[in-house]
Amino acid sequence: MLVLRRRVGEAIVIGGEIEIEVIEISRTRVKLGVRASRDVSVLRREAIALAAENRMASDLIAHRGQQGVGDLLRLLCEISGENPQAEPERVDM
Amino acid sequence: MTVSEIIRSTHLGDIEWNSGCELFLPGGLPGFEEEHRMIPVEVPAQRPLVFLQSLDNPDTCFVSLPVRTIDPGYRILLSEEDRSALVFETDRELSIGADVLCLALLVPFENTVQANLNAPIVINLHNRHCIQALSAGGATGYFRLGDGGRWESVC
Repeated sequence: MLVLRRRVGEAIVIGGEIEIEVIEISRTRVKLGVRASRDVSVLRREAIALAAENRMASDLIAHRGQQGVGDLLRLLCEISGENPQAEPERVDM
Repeated sequence: MTVSEIIRSTHLGDIEWNSGCELFLPGGLPGFEEEHRMIPVEVPAQRPLVFLQSLDNPDTCFVSLPVRTIDPGYRILLSEEDRSALVFETDRELSIGADVLCLALLVPFENTVQANLNAPIVINLHNRHCIQALSAGGATGYFRLGDGGRWESVC
């Protein structure tokens, strides 16, 4: 791993096009600014695992369908004591 | 005047919606960065489930639950960046139900589902801005739906 020391206001450049600047340093955290073209995906590392998890989450209804979801969570619905109806509706915000 | 529109959801069928219930996701969700608009949908027979239907892609639909139906003691802890993305200007404690709605996405796991309460979908109820917060539940972790319809902490 390449290790560089930088101060606030200083930056590094990756591949000639992506610039990462140190904006602020506190006792436990560093605030970074990234300049890159819009087609460059910039993610916190933990968000990469979350992306895979989200894709699995979207598969839940895609693979099991409404009926499968209903079967799986019937116990929850019984606990909530709701009367079954057919039509979907928006959540009041 | 509010005009209703219809989204032809692949999984939920036709849903009539209007701008008053539209959620704004400036950065999308991890893995779905290009989808910036969603609506929350309830199917009465499947309450308390909340479906999050993308308005940008009729194929994208998530199944979620309010976090406190899984963990009644859940408290929301948002980072400075997440507060900023939701346009909360002060650092006061946020109230689930009054300030924000917190939904946990349900992820298939073998024959059941699990939910990551550290990464809930957080909706600012005042402006409908929406993010998926990281580490929002401290060390809360994953819960899995077990026998008897009980949620069990798995890590």
